[in-house]
Amino acid sequence: MKMMNNGYNSSFNSNSVGLMSNTGATTASSSSSTSTTNANSQSQGLKTYFKTPEGRYKLHYEKTHPPGFLPFSHGKSVSQVTLAQLKDKPAQAGPAPSSSSSASASSGVRYAAAKFLGVGGGNGVRAIGFAGGNGTGKAVNGTSRSGSLVGSNGSHSILNPNYDGKGTYLIFNVGDTIFIGDLNSPDKDPIKSLHFSNSNPICHAFDPEAKDGHDLLIGLNSGDVYSVSLRQQLQDVGKKLVGAQHYNKEGSVNNSRCTSVAWIPKSDGAFVVAHADGNLYVYEKSKDASVDTSFPVIKDQTQFSVAHARSSKSNPIARWHICQGSINNVAFSTDGVYLATVGRDGYLRVFDYSKDQLICGGKSYYGALLCCTWSLNPWHFVDFLLQVSGVAFDSYWSSPTSDDIEENVVYRFGSVGQDTQLLLWDLSMDEIVVPLRRCPPGGSPTFSTGSQSAHWDSITPLGTLQPAPCMRDVPKLSPVVAHRVHTEPLSGLLFTQESILTACREGHVKIWMRPSSESQSSNSEALVGGSSSLAGSRVGSSILK
Amino acid sequence: MGATGSKLEKALGDQFPEGERYFGLENFGNTCYCNSVLQALYFCVPFREQLLDYYSNNKSIGDAEENLLTCLADLFTQISSQKKKTGVIAPKRFVQRLKKQNEIFRSYMHQDAHEFLNFLLNELVDILEKEAHAIKSDAESSSPPEKISNGPKTGQANGAQKEPLVTWVHKNFQGLLTNETRCLRCETVTARDETFLDLSLDIEQNSSITSCLKNFSSTETLNAEDKFFCDKCCSLQEAQKRMKIKKPPHILVIHLKRFKYIEQLGRYKKLLYRVVFPLELKLSNTMEDADSEYSLFAVVVHVGSGPNHGHYVSLVKSHNHWLFFDDENVEMIDESVVQTFFGSAQEYSSNTDHGYILFYESIGTGNKS
Ligand SMILES: [Zn+2]
Repeated sequence: MKMMNNGYNSSFNSNSVGLMSNTGATTASSSSSTSTTNANSQSQGLKTYFKTPEGRYKLHYEKTHPPGFLPFSHGKSVSQVTLAQLKDKPAQAGPAPSSSSSASASSGVRYAAAKFLGVGGGNGVRAIGFAGGNGTGKAVNGTSRSGSLVGSNGSHSILNPNYDGKGTYLIFNVGDTIFIGDLNSPDKDPIKSLHFSNSNPICHAFDPEAKDGHDLLIGLNSGDVYSVSLRQQLQDVGKKLVGAQHYNKEGSVNNSRCTSVAWIPKSDGAFVVAHADGNLYVYEKSKDASVDTSFPVIKDQTQFSVAHARSSKSNPIARWHICQGSINNVAFSTDGVYLATVGRDGYLRVFDYSKDQLICGGKSYYGALLCCTWSLNPWHFVDFLLQVSGVAFDSYWSSPTSDDIEENVVYRFGSVGQDTQLLLWDLSMDEIVVPLRRCPPGGSPTFSTGSQSAHWDSITPLGTLQPAPCMRDVPKLSPVVAHRVHTEPLSGLLFTQESILTACREGHVKIWMRPSSESQSSNSEALVGGSSSLAGSRVGSSILK
Repeated sequence: MGATGSKLEKALGDQFPEGERYFGLENFGNTCYCNSVLQALYFCVPFREQLLDYYSNNKSIGDAEENLLTCLADLFTQISSQKKKTGVIAPKRFVQRLKKQNEIFRSYMHQDAHEFLNFLLNELVDILEKEAHAIKSDAESSSPPEKISNGPKTGQANGAQKEPLVTWVHKNFQGLLTNETRCLRCETVTARDETFLDLSLDIEQNSSITSCLKNFSSTETLNAEDKFFCDKCCSLQEAQKRMKIKKPPHILVIHLKRFKYIEQLGRYKKLLYRVVFPLELKLSNTMEDADSEYSLFAVVVHVGSGPNHGHYVSLVKSHNHWLFFDDENVEMIDESVVQTFFGSAQEYSSNTDHGYILFYESIGTGNKS
């Protein structure tokens, strides 16, 4: 099972929707008197850096929707961010050159960080629609990136040949619009906006290994799903999707909200779409989406079931009924073997995807589960009991002490929450990790403090769902860093080789540069002391091995 | 009005819960504070059932002297026995009685929904206690106790007189807090238990109920002007104080202190803070190992930017559907809409609809005593 692979240079796609942070317990309790004016003035004083043991992270760029874009109705829409790296444009019609770019900063689903929404949805209501603001559609010389722009002039017939080259783009939804910004440009405004007139975009995913150009998935509130070529969108000057393939047209297969979309790794263009009614559909992008598919009626909403399409011509090719209530997010393991889902019912479930089989899962401490994430090692995951809205592993961070020795792996991960803070955590597997223990028949789950047993019990019957752990049995972890990064509740977190990206629900993205090597030493005394005041921030973790 | 009713019925379709009634309540001029709380209480099913139970058992006794309890029971009976599934009812008698009883609620000014809830629950308790005492003294003088048909189910022998009576209102809403004070000189811990029918929590910007509860239970130092009189030291001493939940209630009512007196301003101000309230809540207590688990079933929402004006509406979960009650109007809403009532992340916001009183019902594993 162990597939340690520290050599990965990929980031992941942490679409996230946020609700219910319990991390808010950080401020001192001034429980009686008037501390209100104080709290308000704090909201202005956001710092442009934060310190970590490895050095100072500096605010590098900010990205947001254009000023003319009116704020949509409060709280009704949540912005998510996807990072997409376009390689040099491949020779026409040829297979994608097996990229030697080791720093492919966005292997979408490489090891995904999945975000899970607590109070169901968050996007159930359509935000007020406004057309994208001034100038966003122009997309003129958006790429001011130095050096790296290798225009391989494959085709320049269309309007923006600039986008033939490499580039890393930030895709985020705000209200009825998807904005695309250039990660490496100082411009705050997006270079492109895509307007959806019928329904709001909710989730998106990018596949850097897409063979035929369609690499971007967009799921809407109406249930509709599109696949498009990101490059083609960038090259076009309009505000509409171009060259899109449309699935689940007008909700013909399922008319509940799309909550999460994900490409299946190593599947040659297959993807899954999760819906608010607890169903997940598998599509193949090569297949004609116009063939209708009907699936048998679900007899028991509480039971997991998989139904394959009767006709080989249909798309979707399968329906998975996962749970009652919304599936809030899904994530594939790096190798595409395992699929993790989280839902309104509070359960994290792990499936053997190719076998249509539920392997294991567990219930979160706090009601609806908000996030879980696959780590580098596809068979380790952390189940956050913390109700954060975004979580991601930092695959670029390496522990100063452990030299990749498997015995004591320390993972760095981050989380963002409704309290507007970014928290960074160092998770040492052998110390922190609690087993999801086997539940003896009829008995309650036991907890063992011994670290040697801190692994998934191999005799656990397949498909067993664990009850929620008791808070007392879960080790409390303090974050290494807690920093207030935005004024609005946060909804997204991504790590790239050079930076950390944070996003808030209203569609503001901040890019924090990692400490540079020279400043690193000077900062080695950085603050760790903050953690005691954060003892209230709890995280419980479970490991499967 | 009939139209809204049929619209709701249409929206629910064949999912309309058997035997359930969704009725709007008429507003008699700024009585939304009352309507919003009444809806939350009506959909507090154990409370409603026990009230209806009590009423049907006590009607036979005959001494129908009108009080808030009988008026409330009347109203709930009226709603639950409607032939139609939806519509509007005028809670006239109840509101008249309320105004008669308490002058605070007599004016047409904007009232505080929490104050009303508090008053109502305490009033119900008083009435039930009085009745129980009357029955008890009756019983002691004449008949054997078995003949009491619907006395309060205290279960305790009639010997313990000073023992506070536990009415069905208590059984629903009452919890126990323990207030521990540790003298910093002699280290003696003084613990005092207090009962509560609801918890009033101080709030902070961009926080959650869980963090507010944590602050509620955090340690506070008593010093300077605010020292503690230690019985052992026989003098005022510095001390540390903390409140813990000893016995969690079956129905947990959380009141967010959104109306705060600001000294600099010399008046009350509404705090628009964003306070996330989860659909499921865990509450730890000092008595049991396991945390109690709660599920949100009603929210009284204050609409408006100031404390002295505005409007109250309520969100109610009934048979797994969320409903929005705004006086006469009742609508179905999606669960995801609940989060739009968390508050505003920034001070100036067009959003002024804020969760104010939260009603959670215990779904605690096992003991439902
Ligand atoms: Zn003392």
